Amino acid sequence: MAMFDYTFMQRALWAGVLIGSIAPVIGVYLMLRRQALMADTLSHVSLAGVALGAVMGWNPAMAGFGAAILGGLLIEQLRRSYRAYSEMPVAIVMTSGLALAVVLMGLRSSLSQSFSSYLFGSIVAVSDTQLGLMAGVALVGAVYFTVLRRPLYSLTFDEETARIGGIPVRWLSLSFAVFTGMAVAAAIPVVGVLLVSSLIVLPASLALRLARGFAAAIAISIAAGLTGIFSGLTASYYLDMPPGGTIALILLLLLLIGISVQKVRSGLVRRNGRSVNRVARSNAEFMKRPAKEGENLSME
Amino acid sequence: MILSRMENVVFGYEDKPVIDGVSLDIDVGEFVGITGPNGAAKTTLLKLLLGLLKPWSGSVSINEEVLVEGRLNVGYVPQQVAAFNSGFPSRVLELVKSGCYPRLGLFRRFGPEEKQLVERSLKQVGMWEHRHRKIGELSGGQKQRICIARALAGQPGVLVLDEPTTGMDRQSRQGFYQLMRHMADQHGLTVIMVTHGPEETETYLDRLVSLEQQESEEWQCLTTRSCSVRYGPVC
Repeated sequence: MAMFDYTFMQRALWAGVLIGSIAPVIGVYLMLRRQALMADTLSHVSLAGVALGAVMGWNPAMAGFGAAILGGLLIEQLRRSYRAYSEMPVAIVMTSGLALAVVLMGLRSSLSQSFSSYLFGSIVAVSDTQLGLMAGVALVGAVYFTVLRRPLYSLTFDEETARIGGIPVRWLSLSFAVFTGMAVAAAIPVVGVLLVSSLIVLPASLALRLARGFAAAIAISIAAGLTGIFSGLTASYYLDMPPGGTIALILLLLLLIGISVQKVRSGLVRRNGRSVNRVARSNAEFMKRPAKEGENLSME
Repeated sequence: MILSRMENVVFGYEDKPVIDGVSLDIDVGEFVGITGPNGAAKTTLLKLLLGLLKPWSGSVSINEEVLVEGRLNVGYVPQQVAAFNSGFPSRVLELVKSGCYPRLGLFRRFGPEEKQLVERSLKQVGMWEHRHRKIGELSGGQKQRICIARALAGQPGVLVLDEPTTGMDRQSRQGFYQLMRHMADQHGLTVIMVTHGPEETETYLDRLVSLEQQESEEWQCLTTRSCSVRYGPVC
């Protein structure tokens, strides 16, 4: 494809492939653990880290990365304190992160302009450091989800049963929160703080609608994520649209198509079921009627 | 042989004790029922027995002879599994297979022995024919049965069941109690079960532990009642 003649588009494709193969997997686990808003929260915390980095003169990308990891740990810690209100830690950390980011950005108003790339993403302007970070996160994620697939499955199914089964639930949850923070921070350059959860939540939502097994859910989520990123990137190049928003909208479209297909399929199954029942009923009625002379009603 | 010993255990939530001075021994190969009205801290007692909650005072100890690789191999079936409400994407077979994960660890492959365990446990609870169905499509009673099959697939030394027959019809409940009796008698499995229907289970249980409320409104031990002639008169 002509668009990949450009180096910046090649880098954008690599960034998309790396993030698109790991973010949806996190999404499947987050949604099943009822933590769908965690990605959004960590992206806001990451923004606070970026702002802090800018104010302190540190590398903003690395500061955002560190802040997202700390945010993940904080949510996990608060989740233990508010067991009965699982969404409360997410709300607390999200508002704290955003408030901190706004205050820090206010301290250096000259930097506000450069924050737009963090807010809306700029996949075509991914730097070497960011690409390296994404590759590192994707590699860690591939190892993490392959090696720990069994305990993660048990943890996601039921935390209490997993704990009794000898799984170190606390450490596993903490490591998952840390990895989610890493992935969110690495994904921000692709779609931005405001849309990062679209990469995580939308492919997973589609997968959970369609899949009949756990491995299938993971596979469908990755396929949907990569399709959305690749199509979004292509559409934004040829139609001159902002890549982050285009990717998110295409992922949303895929979800809507998935829901519609599933509804049509269920409708057909129900209709076939009804017609099978009608046939069965009419057969039963036929069998119940008095036999005509010379007619054998035996099934044999 | 004693499997677990609880001595003078006091435990509560926030500042309020809910269990006060409970002492209870569980023997290996025993089928024990725990009963009491709603809010009698039956599940709390189970969690204390399993070491999931730390008592405010008193002690809970597990016989070291029954530990495998330093831990008690417990098969647990909770009262409610939250995953069932969230449309957890799994087929019956996949879920029951996950019962073997603790014995397989991170890397050991799923072998013929595990395959046999999964098949046997699914057949024991009468769910083998449903093995390819998605768990979200099952009824409440069927979901409960696959959770029991999952626990059995792990070949536990102790099976802990928190109101396991919720949602099951009468025939399935009787079949389930018979299975637990068989597992205790023939395989030496210790079964601890929270139950709301003691009159229905008495025929099968070795002992029924009843939580009763004191005048101070704390739930205290317990009348333990032997249900089987093998254990002699009522204690």
